[in-house]
Amino acid sequence: MKIIRNSNLCYACKTCQLACSYHHTKTFWPERSSIIVSRNPQDGTIKWRMNTTCDKCVDEEEPLCVKYCVYGALQVVKEVKDND
Amino acid sequence: MIKKGGIKGCLAGKILRIDLSNKKIWTEETKSYAEKTLGGRGINSLIMVNEIESKIKWYDPENLLCFGVGALVGTLAPGACRVDVSTINVFSGGKGSANVGGFWGPELKYAGYDNLIIIGKSRKPVYLYINDDKVEIREAGFLWGKDVYETENILRKEIGDEHIKIACIGPAGENRVRGSAIMIDTSKAAGGSGVGCVMGDKKLKAIVVRGHGKIEVAQPKLFMQVVARCYQQCKDEPNSKMMRKVPFNLYSDPDWEGWNTNIVIKNGQDDQWEKEKRIKLMNPITGVPSMQKGVRACYSCPIGCMPYMEVNKGKHKGYQGEGFWINTIMGHACRFDISDPEAVVESWLLTNKLGLDGDYVAAGLSWVFELYEKGIINKKDTDGLELNWGNSEALIKMIKKLAYREGIGNLLADGMVEAAEKIGRNSEYYLVQVKGQPSIEPFRVPKGWALAVSTSPVAGRHLRGATMGSNRYGPKPRPGDFNVTDYRNQAKGVVWQGKTKELEDNLGICNYVGTWSGANFLTIGDFVELINSGMGIDLTEEELMNQYAAIGRNLEIAFNALHTDMSRKDDLPPKRFMKEKVKSGPYKGLKIDEDKYNHMLDEFYTLWGWDKKTGMQTRSGLEKLGLKDLAEKLSKCGKLVDK
Repeated sequence: MKIIRNSNLCYACKTCQLACSYHHTKTFWPERSSIIVSRNPQDGTIKWRMNTTCDKCVDEEEPLCVKYCVYGALQVVKEVKDND
Repeated sequence: MIKKGGIKGCLAGKILRIDLSNKKIWTEETKSYAEKTLGGRGINSLIMVNEIESKIKWYDPENLLCFGVGALVGTLAPGACRVDVSTINVFSGGKGSANVGGFWGPELKYAGYDNLIIIGKSRKPVYLYINDDKVEIREAGFLWGKDVYETENILRKEIGDEHIKIACIGPAGENRVRGSAIMIDTSKAAGGSGVGCVMGDKKLKAIVVRGHGKIEVAQPKLFMQVVARCYQQCKDEPNSKMMRKVPFNLYSDPDWEGWNTNIVIKNGQDDQWEKEKRIKLMNPITGVPSMQKGVRACYSCPIGCMPYMEVNKGKHKGYQGEGFWINTIMGHACRFDISDPEAVVESWLLTNKLGLDGDYVAAGLSWVFELYEKGIINKKDTDGLELNWGNSEALIKMIKKLAYREGIGNLLADGMVEAAEKIGRNSEYYLVQVKGQPSIEPFRVPKGWALAVSTSPVAGRHLRGATMGSNRYGPKPRPGDFNVTDYRNQAKGVVWQGKTKELEDNLGICNYVGTWSGANFLTIGDFVELINSGMGIDLTEEELMNQYAAIGRNLEIAFNALHTDMSRKDDLPPKRFMKEKVKSGPYKGLKIDEDKYNHMLDEFYTLWGWDKKTGMQTRSGLEKLGLKDLAEKLSKCGKLVDK
């Protein structure tokens, strides 16, 4: 599976970053998140990055970043594997 | 009630204290303050009541500038991002408070601090750099004179960390313009009460925060169950789509009810704007909505109400930034009769850039436009500007004059009430102000709104209980039958909404996400479950509403009593709205009936537990809240009814 983001739907609220940190630490600790979001209020740009520590929330029903994104910017897609 | 030592989560743990006069920095534990008031503004108010002597004025070094981040901020509670900024109100001399969202508040908690309390005054411009437990008072000469955008850009470059969060003032605050804001994350204003003016007076240009720490909750699993349910409520709430489409969705419809109930025209001459002007301003293809390039949300927010704007044509082309609100329509369009969409967007973004409170600009300058219309002032007084209704260029020039104290701006910068005294010639009558703070609010049509704005302890703003009286607002079930123009039962709605706002500001929950404005995302029951599982306490809804909400409001009322001579007369709406009727539209003929308003005020005082006749606090009322010492203090000043 893969988590993909639709940048047009992202409001830059950082809820995904915070929810992810809960998955990793059972506390609210944005520095320990697999997702880092920053935004520039002047030019309107949003930077969203996911690092390699993401484990797709193995022990959860669905990744917490996806679960708590009320804007529908994040979703889980199945990765297609080559069977050649 | 919370037992001593009973709080086990949600708090960062410390209050950071800074003395700018003596360059001292120290901390203290948050818990004992939070046990009494939960957090946020409650802690700020408690510290102000305890520590600021009655003789102290806003410009004295002993005045405190207090930042209070709500108890739930930093967690995943929906909408938990708010910061209260409290200080002596530059308009009323009593309690000042402004509330703001964004990302600065959570960052302060991750740095380890729930509140930041600043005393003293620097001789030279400084900024604070807070990086976890590394706290420094740094020289800020290189920032002085810069606008908010420039200040942010320079600081980001200087510090070299894109994740810093900044609260700063613009030229307006530096120049001690009374209606100055503290700008958070560039575009979110802690606007009311002149908090930016106080920050400028302390020569404090900015507060830069970077936090790497964490917030822990008492019962993580249970807390997350509550959070998940609250988020689901937000998703399921039919109003969320309406809220998420920002003001454009509602006001693009020229027949939207808000055009009849919320709007004041030409500084109070009427409460109804012509339809063709509504359409010109808010046309989805050519008006303000066409300049919306995106929507942004504050931290952990499930609504997202902030448009990102870009002026795409005309002489204002190129202006960009976050922010356009219903207040922008009420203030910068209707009060000046300006329907040019590009100019209205620019004028609002300009107030952000210069660090001005948009409402102060709107209420204050529209008054000056009316004085010009009435011939009380003329072109000689306005530095040659023709302040005719609809003249957007004149408005933009006046905003700059105000921020930089140029020409007539210097007169207005010291306060509109003070300016009226100097101008004379009955100019005071046309100034719409409450307790000294200019106000853009509607009074004649929405009676609950009028009551809340007039009785706000922080002077003339609507967030302390204003309700439109419709089903969208107030408690469910409703406390009796009333609609927007009724006097009857209105006080019940206003007191309920006032109490929920006290809780929201102590917990740091945005009231859009909370109980206000029709979203109805969260209930008091949700607040209880969030803080019980998060803080590890055991409170009931009744305790929250009747104890903690009441403590919050009573601390501010007591501060006003100790610091000013305000009385019942200061809880009345502006005279103009008791005299002049609405001239057109469906509510033509309405004004405030003083007798009926006073009856509503009696009911309001009674519901809060204050003396019905005077509005003063009572000994028994304060003792019931555990505020015996405060009752004694008030009694010594003759500001308590002994019953």
